[in-house]
Amino acid sequence: MNVRKAFGAPLTALAIVVAGGAVAMWLSGVNPLDGFAALVAGSLGGTGELSETLVQTGALLFPALAVALAFRGGLFNIGAEGQLLVGGLAAGAIGATYGGLPVFGILAMLCASALAGGMWGALAGVLRAKFEASEIITTLMLNSIAFYVASYFVGGPLHSPLASGAETAPLPANLWLPLLVPGTRLSIALLLALALAAALQFLLARTVFGFDLRAAGDAPEPARRNGVDLPRITIVALALSGAIAGLGGGTLVTGALHRFNTALSPGYGYTAIAVALVADLNPLWICAAAFGFGMLESGGLAMQAQAQVPKDVIHAIEGVIVLVLAARRFVATRVEQRV
Amino acid sequence: MRGIRKAFGAVTAVDGVDLELRGGEIQALVGENGAGKSTLAAIAFGALRPDAGTVERRGTVGLVHQHFELIERMRVWENIVIGREPRRGVRIDTDAAKRAVRELAARNGLDVDPDAIVESLPVAMKQRVELLRELERRPAVLLLDEPTAALAPAEVAAFFATIVALARAGTAVLVVTHKLQEVLDYADTVSVMRRGKIVAHFASRGVALDEIARTMVGGELPKVAARASTAPVPRVRVAHLRAESGDNAVRDVSFEVRGGEIVAVAGVEGNGQTSLADALAGVLPYEGSIEGADARGVIPQDRLREGLVPSWSVTENVALGRQHARARRGALLDRRGVLQAARAIVERYDVRAPSVDARVATLSGGNQQKLVVGRALLDDPAFVVAYQPTRGIDVGAAALVQSRLMEARNAGAAVLLISFDLDEVFALADRILVLYRGRIAGTFAREDADRAKIGRLMAGGT
Ligand SMILES: Nc1ncnc2c1ncn2[C@@H]1O[C@H](COP(=O)(O)OP(=O)(O)OP(=O)(O)O)[C@@H](O)[C@H]1O
Ligand SMILES: [Mg+2]
Repeated sequence: MNVRKAFGAPLTALAIVVAGGAVAMWLSGVNPLDGFAALVAGSLGGTGELSETLVQTGALLFPALAVALAFRGGLFNIGAEGQLLVGGLAAGAIGATYGGLPVFGILAMLCASALAGGMWGALAGVLRAKFEASEIITTLMLNSIAFYVASYFVGGPLHSPLASGAETAPLPANLWLPLLVPGTRLSIALLLALALAAALQFLLARTVFGFDLRAAGDAPEPARRNGVDLPRITIVALALSGAIAGLGGGTLVTGALHRFNTALSPGYGYTAIAVALVADLNPLWICAAAFGFGMLESGGLAMQAQAQVPKDVIHAIEGVIVLVLAARRFVATRVEQRV
Repeated sequence: MRGIRKAFGAVTAVDGVDLELRGGEIQALVGENGAGKSTLAAIAFGALRPDAGTVERRGTVGLVHQHFELIERMRVWENIVIGREPRRGVRIDTDAAKRAVRELAARNGLDVDPDAIVESLPVAMKQRVELLRELERRPAVLLLDEPTAALAPAEVAAFFATIVALARAGTAVLVVTHKLQEVLDYADTVSVMRRGKIVAHFASRGVALDEIARTMVGGELPKVAARASTAPVPRVRVAHLRAESGDNAVRDVSFEVRGGEIVAVAGVEGNGQTSLADALAGVLPYEGSIEGADARGVIPQDRLREGLVPSWSVTENVALGRQHARARRGALLDRRGVLQAARAIVERYDVRAPSVDARVATLSGGNQQKLVVGRALLDDPAFVVAYQPTRGIDVGAAALVQSRLMEARNAGAAVLLISFDLDEVFALADRILVLYRGRIAGTFAREDADRAKIGRLMAGGT
């Protein structure tokens, strides 16, 4: 228990990650101090840098919360990326065709994105609940399908003659999410994400649904025998998880990109898995972890440009993070088995 | 072992114990739930490191765990020969392994199917596998933590015959048990543990059962609540029930459990009890009909794999199973109510836990069982399914649990008791059904129940 606490504290993990990153940079011939200086300057150094980090934080938060919700229920939703993409597509489709009042337009885009992501997740849920198809496989496959579907739409029906590449027409400015900091890309999407984290925490800790979900994840057989409807939890949890990821896609469209294309996410849905796991699937810690990874996303460019840190090293740092968390789980289970 | 001490946080589980096991001797270790017996056994085995004290071992040590350490996904024979598989070249000689397991089982009177997957077995069967695994290894020191908690009386006798033979051949044996009669029948010496200390050690010959019990609890034993006269009312009606197939099938069973009576299902484990209990608990599909069983409290056969979420606190586990009924307030959990309920159970059932926030996995086995019983009876259910409700509970607490069941009956609950312990059946039942091969082989009213006849029916006779 004590070992788990000491080793499990995210701060310890952070220290290990920093050390690992330093070693990786040193090995590739970069002075780690320069590297970290570039990272900090590039992610926190000014209003522009900081707000870009916060944009990335919000972008990671949605899928990370989605992943956490599913994982807490013992469901390995690897498909946040695809759910995010169909969410973005739905928002983009509405944005490209909408002609009514702006407020309702934004709301409609967000609702549509949650709905689309939710359906994408629910599909995996139904396949698991009715046919015992592993959600790991189905969510992963649905990622590819989402990509092809999105490519088809931006290449055809939703393709904008105004755009250079395969993407929808830019949104009119009155369909943009309000900005938090003028002159940056930082919109109220971040606030929405933080509110969602608080809501998820509440859901898990206080509601009957959250209780059933955790029971299903922690001990499915006792849960089943004590009134938890496992198939229902599977479907609802994956639907909710998908909806959160989809909403994330929607906020990227209305909040940051102001159009939809298939490069909407540089892999947020996958990085989100690491974010959720380092934070022990705890929504409040996830906010901190998303900020950390957000720094890497936004400061990574500066690391490359100013300190000549190879891109691979930045990936290696992310790899170290995943390793640390895997080791942490391993140690924790070993310690518990000693009882 | 000398000066052994082990604390978990604020709880001192073992508090300065000296213990010596001698080759050729069977030593019994008894004590209340949470006294520290399993902790001491784990230290002797080497699975836990003591905070202070020294352990000296001569030869190999084997431990039969209270909560079985089996690989659930693997087969019985694999679990038994694991680590010392007979080989043919680089491959496991499957036939030889199974043959060895069959012989071992026959020699020890513990019948198992070598090919069964452990996961699918009832508790009694898992207990046999756990025992056979250690018997196969013939350690110089054999530590048995409640080895007979899930065995039927006939099996207990056969099992101890093996243990006595091993001891005569020089093995040192430690038996942790709550069945004090076993102590008198088979042990050479007894150590009594209370609150982490060994408070008495004596030769078991010529000792009275009551005396051991009194030393254990440090006072008089509580008496089981008296049977009040009730006017039973129709409550649960089971007609032509069929469930599961194969060994554990229930084949066309009909009976009634009325409010204000305890109906006991007697029988040897493996005659359909688990399927019957699961169908009545609403967790197994069945044919036929079950009426009036909706407001039920269930004491499952396996507290840790069926009843509790081990990684959760006592409080959260008190909400489990009740989260759609009394423990909910709209869409939210009634946290205050659950906390009060947890405190009430801890008090009424004498659950020894550092606090209601303690993780259930850290409670001693008997205290987990008391928690499961307390939760099942908490909301005054109209129907109670109690499967071996006193499994692993010390004599004092067993009397307490039996009293609570009797009180529930006196207050009008319909209670179905499934037990392999005929003493418990006779102590509690108003009516007795004998289950054999998934059918009811006989029904007796309490007054004219004949122990010998019931014993014969249980074995398939007439
Ligand atoms: N891993 C643990 N963490 C915290 N407390 C523990 C742990 N293991 C045991 N304890 C505590 O140590 C005490 C002794 O437990 P132990 O399991 O040895 O009791 P026991 O005598 O075997 O009881 P029982 O008859 O119920 O099996 C109990 O108070 C228990 O709650
Ligand atoms: Mg014990």
